[in-house]
Amino acid sequence: MSGKIAIVGAGPSGCYLAQSLLKAAPDLEVDLIDALPVPYGLVRYGVAADHQGTKAVTRQFARVFERQGARFFGCLRLGDDVALEDLRAAYDAVVLATGMPVDRPLGIPGDDLAGVFGAGRLTRALYDHPDAETLPELGAHPLIVGNGNVAIDLLRLLAKDPDELAGSDLGAGPTDWLAGAGIESLTITGRSPAAAAKFDPVMIKELAKLGGVSIDVVGTGASDEPDAVKTLDALASIAGHGSGARNVTFRFGLTPAEVIGSQGQVRAVRFTSDAGDETIPCTSVLTAIGFDADPDLPRDALLESATDAGAGALAPGLYATGWFRRGPRGTIPENRADAQALATHILDDLTADPAKPGRAIFEGRTGLVDYDGWCRIDAAETEALPEGRCRAKITTREEMTRLASKGVTTG
Amino acid sequence: MNISILYGTETGNAEMLAEDIQSELEGDHDVSCQNLSDVDPMSLVPEHLYLLVCSTYGDGELPASAQPFAEAMEAAKPDLSAIHFAIFGMGDSEYDETFNHGPKRLAELMLAHGATQIGERVAHDASGPEMAEDLAFPWAEEIISQAEERLGAAA
Repeated sequence: MSGKIAIVGAGPSGCYLAQSLLKAAPDLEVDLIDALPVPYGLVRYGVAADHQGTKAVTRQFARVFERQGARFFGCLRLGDDVALEDLRAAYDAVVLATGMPVDRPLGIPGDDLAGVFGAGRLTRALYDHPDAETLPELGAHPLIVGNGNVAIDLLRLLAKDPDELAGSDLGAGPTDWLAGAGIESLTITGRSPAAAAKFDPVMIKELAKLGGVSIDVVGTGASDEPDAVKTLDALASIAGHGSGARNVTFRFGLTPAEVIGSQGQVRAVRFTSDAGDETIPCTSVLTAIGFDADPDLPRDALLESATDAGAGALAPGLYATGWFRRGPRGTIPENRADAQALATHILDDLTADPAKPGRAIFEGRTGLVDYDGWCRIDAAETEALPEGRCRAKITTREEMTRLASKGVTTG
Repeated sequence: MNISILYGTETGNAEMLAEDIQSELEGDHDVSCQNLSDVDPMSLVPEHLYLLVCSTYGDGELPASAQPFAEAMEAAKPDLSAIHFAIFGMGDSEYDETFNHGPKRLAELMLAHGATQIGERVAHDASGPEMAEDLAFPWAEEIISQAEERLGAAA
C-alpha cells in the first residue's frame, strides 16, 4: 500500500503510530514532524531522569527511522513553520500527536502568586528542555498538589540525595540546583481519598529506596476494592520509612481552595476537606494536576466536530492519537495501544493520491533537523559522559542545530 | 530445530527482542515468532522448542499481551507434559521488589501445567548497562544446544 502520512509530534505516541503503520504497510511514506530539533518528546523531556529503563523504548523508535524508513523533520512547528491546512493538502493523512504540554492551573485565588509552579514547567527545566524557563527557588518547604505519577516523579527527584541520581541523565545545571535547593520538607496533597489516588502503586513502593528522607502517610482510610487495596498497601509499605532529615508527608482528601501569600509570595495553601478547612504553610506550590493542549491548536473544536473522536478520526484525512486525543492520562503502553488501533483505522480509510507532494513541500527549507542530524546530537550527548550520568543533554536549540549540521556540506 | 518464539509485551520492547532472536536464529533453524495474545495454550506441540520472551508490568504483573494466554491456560488446564520451553525475562531494577516477576509468573504457569523448563530463567535489566540482545543471543544458543541433547533429532 502506498500513501503519504504526516505525524505531528515525534513523541512516544507519534513514534508508535509510525511503527505500527510501517509494520502493516512498509511502503508508506511516514514523516514525523516535531517543533524541537530532537525526537522522542516526553520520553526525553517527561519521563524522569532517574527512570532510564522506561526510556529504553527509544531503541524501538530509532528502528522506526533506521529500518522502517520513517523520516524525521525537526524544527518544524505546526502553525508557525507549517500550517495544518498545508500539511493536509500535501499528505494523504495527517495525525496530531502533539500531546498536552501546558500545565493546568489550579483555578483558585492566589494561583498566580510568585512561588506557584506547574509540574511541566519544572520538569522541562529539570530535564533541560531547550525552551524551559529557569529553575526557580522552591524554598525549604515545597508543597506538591496532585496525586498522579507526575506528582510522584517530582516528589522523588526533589527528595533524592545527589548520589541517588547516579546513572540518570540529570544535567549539570539541574544537579547543582537540586543539591543547593535546601529542601527540608516536602508535603504532597491529593484531592481524592488515598484509596482513589491515581499514582501507580509501583511508583510509591519505589520511594522506599530513598535514603535521606523520613516518610509520613497521614489519613489513608480503608477499602476492599482490589485496585484500592494495592494503592493502600503501597502507601502502608512506605509509611514510617527512613529516619532521614528530609521529611516527606502524604496527605489526602484535601481540595485546594486558596493559595495564601504575602508580599506577592506564597506562604500557605488553604484546603477544604470533610473535616473542615485546613491551612498548610509552605514556601512554594508545585501543581501536578494535569495538562492542557497547546492553545495554538484548536483541540476542543477538533474533538467536538470529530467524525469519531473515540477512534481518533477528526475529519477526512485528519486524525489524533495519544494524549492529544485522550487527554493527559495513561502511560507509554496505553499510547502504544492507542497508536496501534489508530494505525488500523488509518489504513482502512487511506486512499493514496499520487498527486500529493508529501515531504517534497519541505524541500529547500533550511534549518530543519533530520534523523541523521539527531544521531549527531545523540552521539555528542553520549560520547563524553560526566561522572554518574548516562547522557549529557545539549540544552539549547542553537547548539543542537549546530551539532546536527556538523560535517554536512550543503548545496 | 523447530523453534517457536512467543512474546508477552506491554511497551513493545519484548516484541523487538523476540524479533531480533528470530533473525539471529533463522539461519540455522526453522523459527516462528508470535505474540502470546495470539497463541492458544492448547495448540502447543511437543515437536517445537518454545522460547518465551516476557516483560513485567505494573506491580509485578504479566504484560498485557501475555494475560489472555495466562487466562486461557488457567481455564483450559492443558496437559503440557510433552512441552519444552525456556524463558527470557525483561525487567527494570528500578522496581527491584517486583523485578522480573512477570516472566517468573509465566514460567510458573507453564511448569504448573506440566511443561519442562530448559535452562535457567535469565533476566535482562533495562536500567543495567547491557543490551537485551547481548544477553539473549548467547542464552538462546545455550538453550538450543541443551534442547538438542534432550530432545534429540526428533525436534
